[in-house]
Amino acid sequence: MGGPDTTGAWHADGALLDAYNDQRLDAAARWSVEAHLTSCAACRRQARALVDLARLERVRAALIDAVDVPRAGMVERLLVRLGVAEHTARLLAATPALRGSWLLAVAAALGFAVAAGWTHPGQDANLAFLGVAPLLPLAGIAVAYGPGVDPTYEIGLAAPLPSFRLLLLRAAAVLGTATLLAAAASLALPQLGPGAAGWLLPSLGLTASSLALATTIAPLRAIGITAGAWILAVVVTVMPPAPSSVLFAVTGQVAFAALALLGAAVLLVRRGRFESDRGFDTTPRFAARRLR
Amino acid sequence: MTTPAPTVRVRDLVMTFGRTRALDGVTFDLVPGVTGLLGPNGAGKTTLLRVLATVSAGDSGSVHALGLDPRHTDQRLDLRGRLGYMPQEPGFHARFTAFEFVDYVAILKELHQRRARHQEVRRVLELVGLGPVRGKQIKALSGGMRRRVALAQALLGDPDLLVLDEPTAGLDPEQRLRFRELVSRLGEGRTVLLSTHQTEDVVALARHVMVLHLGRLRFAGAPLELAGLARGHVWQSQERDPGALAAWRTGTGQHRNIGDPPAGADLLEATLEDGYLLLLGGDQVEEAAA
Repeated sequence: MGGPDTTGAWHADGALLDAYNDQRLDAAARWSVEAHLTSCAACRRQARALVDLARLERVRAALIDAVDVPRAGMVERLLVRLGVAEHTARLLAATPALRGSWLLAVAAALGFAVAAGWTHPGQDANLAFLGVAPLLPLAGIAVAYGPGVDPTYEIGLAAPLPSFRLLLLRAAAVLGTATLLAAAASLALPQLGPGAAGWLLPSLGLTASSLALATTIAPLRAIGITAGAWILAVVVTVMPPAPSSVLFAVTGQVAFAALALLGAAVLLVRRGRFESDRGFDTTPRFAARRLR
Repeated sequence: MTTPAPTVRVRDLVMTFGRTRALDGVTFDLVPGVTGLLGPNGAGKTTLLRVLATVSAGDSGSVHALGLDPRHTDQRLDLRGRLGYMPQEPGFHARFTAFEFVDYVAILKELHQRRARHQEVRRVLELVGLGPVRGKQIKALSGGMRRRVALAQALLGDPDLLVLDEPTAGLDPEQRLRFRELVSRLGEGRTVLLSTHQTEDVVALARHVMVLHLGRLRFAGAPLELAGLARGHVWQSQERDPGALAAWRTGTGQHRNIGDPPAGADLLEATLEDGYLLLLGGDQVEEAAA
């Protein structure tokens, strides 16, 4: 421990400094050593020789990071709390769709469908809900990624993170959010009965096929075509007098499950198309290499 | 002085949009240092820079950058990890702060380790002089500051190849000076290609200059050589010389004429701008001098 030197002044000895450096001292002793070090150049010199510089640098970096990094936005904090990795959360927070306006639009659309179900209970209202729900993720994905939608689309293309991964990440987030909201809405429509989940497979099928289509034509157009085809299909297949549609019967559901799988397969095979504005990866040679 | 080995090789690059040949057989090499790319609007500058930044690919011809061929997926990803690209009109997620935006691009550049990434984001923001406003939302920043944010993201990861599309557009003279200081420092040991309308930028910064016009490379060489093209073709006179390709009244009240001078003309020293205008010829000169 420390003691007075020949001049009568008190100094910390090597053992004490060692203990301090190894964090073996209790709080009171640590503070006294620190108070002494601030006023005694000789002991500071001695302590400096013991300090692990790498550890000091790590502590300093952690401190700066903790103090200096701006607080993340609400969406980001929520995602991190849900267990999403910090960097993934930031990628998702930049999704134009996951902003208030889209969530509000989805909630409003579902709200209307539910309200219609309560005020005019019957097959018409049920069909309206089942018809609208699969369109919601499509509308979100339309504003989730791509030229003219994502302001950093071009910078993203020139960066090494595969754009396909970013697209999938965002599509999954949008699909997940829309599915959760639609599921909540179907619970609010008890008269729907076991057919309440009839929108789920069409929703997956339409999302997968619109993304697959986006490997050939502009994403917005692909989504527009898919949405148009769905609306047409619902209108055409509705059978009076007791309105029902084959789309929500077993046949239709199986077809949409198949469409989802097919769309996913096409998307996987042709994912290279998302990696540049145009030009790369369109040659047969490339496609062959990807398939191998 | 020995010429350093080229870091970028472009051969017979052709790119068409419908019937327009935006790039019509462009061939050049780039070496470390700053190269300025001049050309009027619609010359194909942005198209060329986008190809170098691997954002799009040409219809034919070849591009090799840093020894990598972007036609191969793995090499393209390698190249993307070593290049910085500042697009002509960089978009921003306006709600992000300057820090968050650059951090977002750092994630796109696959810097996943949080603390190291944040350190790098702080470094590039300091480099462009935006350290003090890093916590401000981008929508609250001035136009000049936004361009510096865009430049900062291009500097992430200390890239070997920097592709900057009109980085000085919209900067005031002081910002432009700061930008030149920064880019001239970056040009040491790195390959920097920047497009600009400002011949002053090229004079101040570039060791090499290229002129692109209607999809063809019209000139590649040293800035002095470009100025040299106009030597003996610039003269002053009291009145506008009708034989001149272009002429304008300068601040001194005299007319500065470019073209084939008449005998006994009062010749002036040619600048890089004179060489550039002479190279573009006729209409372009009228337009530029107007």
